[in-house]
Amino acid sequence: MSGTAASMHDAHHEAPTSFVRKYVFSTDHKMIAKQYIFIALFWAFVGGLLAYMFRWQLAWPETPVWGFGWISEDADFMPTGRIGPEVYNALITMHGTIMVFFVAMPLLLASMGNFLIPLMVGARDMAFPRLNMLSVWVLATASLILLASFFVEGGAAAAGWTGYPPLSAKVDYTGVIWGIDLWLLALALEFASFLMGGINFLVTPFNMRTRGMSLFRMPLMIWMIVIASVLFLLSVGPLIAGAVFLLLDRNLGTSFFLPEGGGDPLLWQHLFWFFGHPEVYVIFLPALGVMLEVISTFSRKTIYGYRPIIYAVLTAGVLSFVVWAHHQFISGLDPRLATPFSITTILISVPFAFVVFSLLATLWKSSIRLDTPMWFAIGGLSIFVFGGVTGIFNGSATVDIFIHDTLFVVAHFHSTLFSAVFLGGFCAIYYWYPKMFGRVMDEFWGKVHFAGTYLGFLAVFVPMHLVGVGGMVRRVADHTKYDLFIPLQPWNEWMTVAAIVLFLFQFVFAVNFIRSLYWGREAGENPWGGTTLEWTTPSPPPHGNWPGAIPEVHNAPYEYGVPGIDGEWVSQDQPAP
Amino acid sequence: MAAAENHGPKNIVIWAYLVILALVSVFVSLIIPSPADTVVIFALAIAKAALVLMYFMHLRVENIFIHSLFFVPLALVVVMFFGFMPDINHWLY
Amino acid sequence: MSVESTASTDTMEAGVPAAKLGVWWFIASEIMVFGGVLASFILLRLTGPGWAGDIEHNSVLLGSINTLVLLTSSFSIVEVLAANKAGDLEKFKKYMGITIALGLLFMVIKGVEYSIHIHEGLLPDKSLFWAFYFGMTGLHGLHVLAGIVANISLLVVVSKPGGLARYGHRSEMCGLYWHFVDVVWIFLFPLLYLG
Repeated sequence: MSGTAASMHDAHHEAPTSFVRKYVFSTDHKMIAKQYIFIALFWAFVGGLLAYMFRWQLAWPETPVWGFGWISEDADFMPTGRIGPEVYNALITMHGTIMVFFVAMPLLLASMGNFLIPLMVGARDMAFPRLNMLSVWVLATASLILLASFFVEGGAAAAGWTGYPPLSAKVDYTGVIWGIDLWLLALALEFASFLMGGINFLVTPFNMRTRGMSLFRMPLMIWMIVIASVLFLLSVGPLIAGAVFLLLDRNLGTSFFLPEGGGDPLLWQHLFWFFGHPEVYVIFLPALGVMLEVISTFSRKTIYGYRPIIYAVLTAGVLSFVVWAHHQFISGLDPRLATPFSITTILISVPFAFVVFSLLATLWKSSIRLDTPMWFAIGGLSIFVFGGVTGIFNGSATVDIFIHDTLFVVAHFHSTLFSAVFLGGFCAIYYWYPKMFGRVMDEFWGKVHFAGTYLGFLAVFVPMHLVGVGGMVRRVADHTKYDLFIPLQPWNEWMTVAAIVLFLFQFVFAVNFIRSLYWGREAGENPWGGTTLEWTTPSPPPHGNWPGAIPEVHNAPYEYGVPGIDGEWVSQDQPAP
Repeated sequence: MAAAENHGPKNIVIWAYLVILALVSVFVSLIIPSPADTVVIFALAIAKAALVLMYFMHLRVENIFIHSLFFVPLALVVVMFFGFMPDINHWLY
Repeated sequence: MSVESTASTDTMEAGVPAAKLGVWWFIASEIMVFGGVLASFILLRLTGPGWAGDIEHNSVLLGSINTLVLLTSSFSIVEVLAANKAGDLEKFKKYMGITIALGLLFMVIKGVEYSIHIHEGLLPDKSLFWAFYFGMTGLHGLHVLAGIVANISLLVVVSKPGGLARYGHRSEMCGLYWHFVDVVWIFLFPLLYLG
């Protein structure tokens, strides 16, 4: 056994010196975290661009998208910059896939997990550094494949991000030849990447905590990442099986999902959503962890109910495996299943409501400091609560039959996912940027970015709820073709303008990010007054994370104003008086 | 852990059980007409899998972490099976 | 750098070596993959028109031989683990060689079966049963191949001077994976040959 432990630490004897080992094929968890961030931000830009393009189509159908008018009339793809129904389908499909699998997961789970786990639990690196490097490069390969799928004959996948058969199972139905195969391949590699990453996310906090860091002294962020990784591990298998079946259906003429050959399209929906619902929490839990850390630090107060939050999230994790069919209420689901799945769906909001009230109790009578990360944390939480409330509408089968496949559903899941991925993700970046790069991002422009993002989001998605209840259906390229929707068309134009504004505000972030790398204020060890271990080492941390010995832990996280101890807050490694 | 493993039966004995069970299940499938033999054959398959898991993969001496990594997915597969069941090909009848 | 890392880190808090936890994590994900495959097969089998006619094309003899081959290889890789505990390099190499040979034999027999089916025109698009047959045995075969590669690479590194002391403990990781592949076959065999 000790042999295993020793070999585990062999991998990081000394800092690598060559450029390639240091920046490209690095095994240092901090560099890998940065690589994940850049992959995620690149894809976020692409995903946002796609959103701009299809929003343009929805507001002003069949007109050339501004900025794409240079495309020639004979081009196969978007001639003269116009988006037809086929391209529209490809755009929404790829937008969903990119944002969920190539932005949300790398940004929140992989990058924050990689950066924070060793620093927060007090380890020199991850348990399997080379496996870690492999997982980021598998994700990079998946990214290249997904990017290539835009340029192959027949265009990118266009069967929706859920890829329902029979639409996705036959070339004739969508006209997409290679796109869906490449899409499935990219997803399979992405899953492989995160399964490999997940091994590290589980083993490092379990086996490599520093002395005194008991399980219930770990920061909540670590708990959230561990639970999210386990949820991913346990849910993704059936979808991998389904992806293999779908590839065979497309390429070998089998009929797993085609009724004419004895298969069943509902089987895919079940396999997909058995993964798809826990996936929501895989994305959300790390964001929740970020919000917990930030709200505690900036309200200068202990998290209210540390252990109950862990138990609540574990409960939600268990429940998340028995709610999947609420995505399928109108797809021919056995009616006897509708009530049980409605009940579990509404039940799952209880643990999350508990966590939200814990956060409110943490804020209660605290000394709140409204720096940029805090704005993003509170803003993200508020929108998530909003999305959670509309989730109750969708979760109830009777209501869902009316609003299913309308823009109300789209608005609902953007409220939950946008708040988690972008508000939570930006919150994490603003908060840990000083630790990553040694400089603090500009406060003023950070707040401008928050205001634009928050208000821009509300301007797009609050009206979207309204038109959704008005009956406007999703996955329709041109609503003006239907008389029913013509009175709602001004709202479509408004949402597009707001979405463009929202997109433009992200350039504030991009400029701030790059500018602060060189001209930001020097951060020092602990710019925010945080109590967890990552703030006890220089920013950016050296190779091996602590220049001297790894600190020993004496306290729970989030200790503020402890009687008998000088100072407002108590770092986790501060010995008892 | 290492000490505990030595208390169990010898590996070759487990192997002999496995071979006997495999042969019996083939034999059962030949003499009992389908589908009546299904229950027996699957009981035997589960017994074989249990032998491999308990003795060759040492599941009987592992701690709660390894147990969770095995039994939780197993439970989820069962949940998945019964959750899917009402829907698959229900339009046939 | 690594001087105090074992000293100041209670590395063994979970009571399981990291590598073993990693392999079991991998096996957990595989249980879900094969669980999804098997659940789909059984559900469509139960509700479908009946595949008894298709199943009769499968040779119970070849399937049984392959079952015995994999069961025996499971036994031989346990002996590899025992050899590692005893520090017996010759026994390690012998039983690992047997395991690899049995794995290859399994693949050869599988290939013979495939070629018989293909000659008879029983291709994946023939019916849902053959789709599942090729899908499931193909997926399982890829796992067997991966296991063979893992076993060969372990045999190579262990054969180097000092290899057994350094890499011998990996026999447990290879073994766990190999047993898991065997367990999957234990369920595939009755489903595809006897059912």
